[in-house]
Amino acid sequence: MFKNYLKIAWRNLWKNKGYTFINVGGLALGMAVTLIIGLWIHDELSYNNYFSKKDKIAQIFQSQTFNGEIGTGPAIPIPLERALRDGYGDNFKYLTMASWSQPQYLEYKETSISRTGNFIQEKAPEMLDLNILKGEKDGLREINSIMLAESVAKALFGDEEAVGKVIKVNSQYDMVVSAVYEDIPTNNSFNDAHFFMPWEKYLTTQDWLKYAIDNWGNNSFQMFVQIVDNATMEKVSTTIKDVKKNAEEDGEEFNPQLFLLPMKDWYLRSNFENGKQVGGRIKNVWLFGIIGAFVLLLACINFMNLSTARSEKRGKEVGIRKSIGSQRGQLIYQFLSESFLVVLVAFFLAVIIVLASINGFNDLSRKEISFPWDSGVFWLVSFLFVLFTSLLAGSYPALYLSSFKPVDVLKGTFKVGKYAGLPRKILVVVQFTVSVAFIIGTVIVMQQINYAKNRPIGYDKEGLVQIPTMSQDFSGKYELMRTEFLNSGAVTEMSASSSPTTEIWSNRNGYTWEGKPEGFQEDLAWTEVTPEYAKSLGLKIIKGRDFSREMATDSNAILINETAMKYMGLTNPIGKLVKDSSEENPDPPMKIIGVVEDMIAQSPYEPVKQGWYIYDKNGNSSYYNLRLNPNQSASQNIAIIENVFKEHFPDIPFQYDFVDQQYGKKFASEERIGTLSSIFTALAILISCLGLFGLTSFVAEQRKKEIGVRKVLGASIFNVWNMLSKDFLKLVIISCFIAVPIAYFIMNGWLQEYPYRVILKWWIFALAMVGAMLVTILTVSFQAIKAAKANPVKSLRTE
Amino acid sequence: MLLQLNNIFKWVQQGGQRIFLLKDINLEVEEGEFISIMGPSGSGKSTLLNVIGMLDTFDEGEYDFLSESVHTLKEKYRSNLYKEYIGFVFQSYHLLDELTVEENLEMPLLYKKVKGSERKALVADMLDRFNIVGKKDLFPTQLSGGQQQLVGVARALIGKPKLILADEPTGNLNSQQSEEIMQLFQKLNKEDGVTIIQVTHSEKNAEYGSRIINLLDGRQI
Repeated sequence: MFKNYLKIAWRNLWKNKGYTFINVGGLALGMAVTLIIGLWIHDELSYNNYFSKKDKIAQIFQSQTFNGEIGTGPAIPIPLERALRDGYGDNFKYLTMASWSQPQYLEYKETSISRTGNFIQEKAPEMLDLNILKGEKDGLREINSIMLAESVAKALFGDEEAVGKVIKVNSQYDMVVSAVYEDIPTNNSFNDAHFFMPWEKYLTTQDWLKYAIDNWGNNSFQMFVQIVDNATMEKVSTTIKDVKKNAEEDGEEFNPQLFLLPMKDWYLRSNFENGKQVGGRIKNVWLFGIIGAFVLLLACINFMNLSTARSEKRGKEVGIRKSIGSQRGQLIYQFLSESFLVVLVAFFLAVIIVLASINGFNDLSRKEISFPWDSGVFWLVSFLFVLFTSLLAGSYPALYLSSFKPVDVLKGTFKVGKYAGLPRKILVVVQFTVSVAFIIGTVIVMQQINYAKNRPIGYDKEGLVQIPTMSQDFSGKYELMRTEFLNSGAVTEMSASSSPTTEIWSNRNGYTWEGKPEGFQEDLAWTEVTPEYAKSLGLKIIKGRDFSREMATDSNAILINETAMKYMGLTNPIGKLVKDSSEENPDPPMKIIGVVEDMIAQSPYEPVKQGWYIYDKNGNSSYYNLRLNPNQSASQNIAIIENVFKEHFPDIPFQYDFVDQQYGKKFASEERIGTLSSIFTALAILISCLGLFGLTSFVAEQRKKEIGVRKVLGASIFNVWNMLSKDFLKLVIISCFIAVPIAYFIMNGWLQEYPYRVILKWWIFALAMVGAMLVTILTVSFQAIKAAKANPVKSLRTE
Repeated sequence: MLLQLNNIFKWVQQGGQRIFLLKDINLEVEEGEFISIMGPSGSGKSTLLNVIGMLDTFDEGEYDFLSESVHTLKEKYRSNLYKEYIGFVFQSYHLLDELTVEENLEMPLLYKKVKGSERKALVADMLDRFNIVGKKDLFPTQLSGGQQQLVGVARALIGKPKLILADEPTGNLNSQQSEEIMQLFQKLNKEDGVTIIQVTHSEKNAEYGSRIINLLDGRQI
């Protein structure tokens, strides 16, 4: 019996190739989108699955209150380690301090590479359950040992045995390779940990770290823990909540609250707003999940509409089968197996589409998703997916078609009633509502990106290059390098700064100034710069003056930005003194000599943070900022700079970034959403139009006789076209009016996350509506004109 | 007794008025009869046939088929009853265009859940008996009207029904084809004892039958 059903289904599909193409093609596209999104969601949700203890691992987070606003982050001070080990050790199986992942130069014989990695405590490799390929698991026992990822070992030693070899780090100290571990896959935290070195070693590498060991106020480190098996994250969080507050002298001031952020939340739910966890990437997972579901729904609607539109043809079969003895249930089963067949074919096409497009998708989404051929779960889920889709697409047609009365259909008097088309119309409205909403959403995302991109940035980012100088090799070399670079002709101005132009690395508080309000807890971006900072960046001085090498007193001078001026409550800041409020600090007060225009150093979607630029007298530079000579090409300039660099730092790999590119990265995540959603929108529209196209052709065929009669009575081609198009256009207009408020509501909510955001203009909505109508008219017209041009003699003769 | 209709009424509501399609029909059919239903267009011939075939319902009265009271049966039992005992022949043949002659013949057996080997044998028998073995792989649209109706009759017969209901079986055929089909009906009735009820306009066709029922405006006359 089943075979008989499939045979009929197959012959039907074959006979109506156009219809089959629309149906299977549309479904395949929709399923491909759903499949890709499904794989992407799976990849997102399986983040950190590499770590076997991920349910018990957490990072210590801290919330502090500044002026009533709660800031939350992973940075914690060193003394916390002792406090937790001594007072609360029984909550933790492992506890490890860690540095931030930073690039270091690793050198072996002639090979010198720069890789990111962490300083971390002895038990960390055990906690993370690293897959040790060679050497020992407790490879961080000795203070001069280093554990390398396989790729790093390969880059340094080639095929030679790595364990036991000595490498030079930052041209400063020698480390013995104690182990080689499998690289941590990309969709995991620690994927940038290409090496691990002992925490104890870290504390000896830089002077400031020595003072941090007992300083509760220096939140410059991170800590990871694995809680004991019978503990829960919530319980431990409550237990350690006030540890820092109680230990710190002035703990009450910022009310530090400690808690654990479980590993499963690191990637997906790491956003905090005023102390509350508010999601994060999980929002995108939802967003794309919903998009995927809708695209699939659109494709299913095509199937439903085209199946029921053909009901007059299939009706006869229903009648015959019923008169021969088929029961309704058997017919439902037959139609469902038919839709199963269609969906199955579409699924295999979808798999082909996915295979063809997965590389492009990976590029766009910055993923490394591969097609899970060998995953049984994937095929099981796919089977359920096919089953679900065939039920979704097939159940309405099955119920509808099987309900026909044999007497009616067999007599030939069967006509689809006046309202039989109503569900079909509703479905078309649903389709276009979704499509129009997608269009509006995409346009708004694009607009927001453009809006932020065109925001005045405050300095000239074109032709600006930055070179990292965090290694000790660079200390004391600034003036020399400046002269060399300027003399080379490739650079017209140069400065150094303690953080890159596109980021803020340091924030400070605890200062007093004249007119500071009582109890004001300031939070200031802190950047130490050399005198030509403003000049090299092209930052405008709007009040006072720039640093000057001629004035010896400028070594105690600072520039502040416009926002800081307002933030500090100063109308005329020039000449005002700012002083560290702690008694014991011997530093003299600093004098404000100028105000610079705000420059965007953090998110382009947020207001510029109040910031100070401090004359760098200690050589704390982390980056050189080079203004390239505009009279030569960038590549010429870079080549010259590299030569100069190599001359002075032969052992250090030459690294540089164009600041405009670094700045552009701030838009990466939004641009990704923008690109993906425009692709999905295009597909949604394509699928909807395919359906509309199919539907029009059926309507045109159904009304062939009517069109013939009208033409004989004198209707022009335009009249007929108008008659056929009007019905569909009406539906699309209704969709527009449903879609606009929905899209407005959703997109308005999305924009709320960006303090610097585009204002929604009415014309965006008008544009989307006009666009949808144009597409509709184009789609419908092809069939409508064809029907209108048909010779009426032919269409009337068929009776 | 094969079937019995007692005081059957069927009507539709139109503008607050009852329009009767069947009015007080009483009919007894014995096994082996060959009955022709006649009457002008709209007199209710087809409706009566469909009521007998259980494809259509009625509003009042009683209908017993092989001493089962049809009017009290649920759809499932009704369809079991007619797929077991009744075969239909239609004016416009109503073969499934997507299936070959052989597959069309096989379909009723599928619904009766006849086993594969037996199905093959029965279909082969039927093809043989109607002399259409050579056409078994053709699709209906490749046959002439007479040949299609031949397949239609074969399909009605393959389930070995006690009763064949034919709604103007020759309405779309020329006179020679008509005669062939009627002779076939007669032969089935005489030699195989199949009960036949046909609706017809033609006096000539009606004469093949043993009894004529005349209808006018839904009433027996």
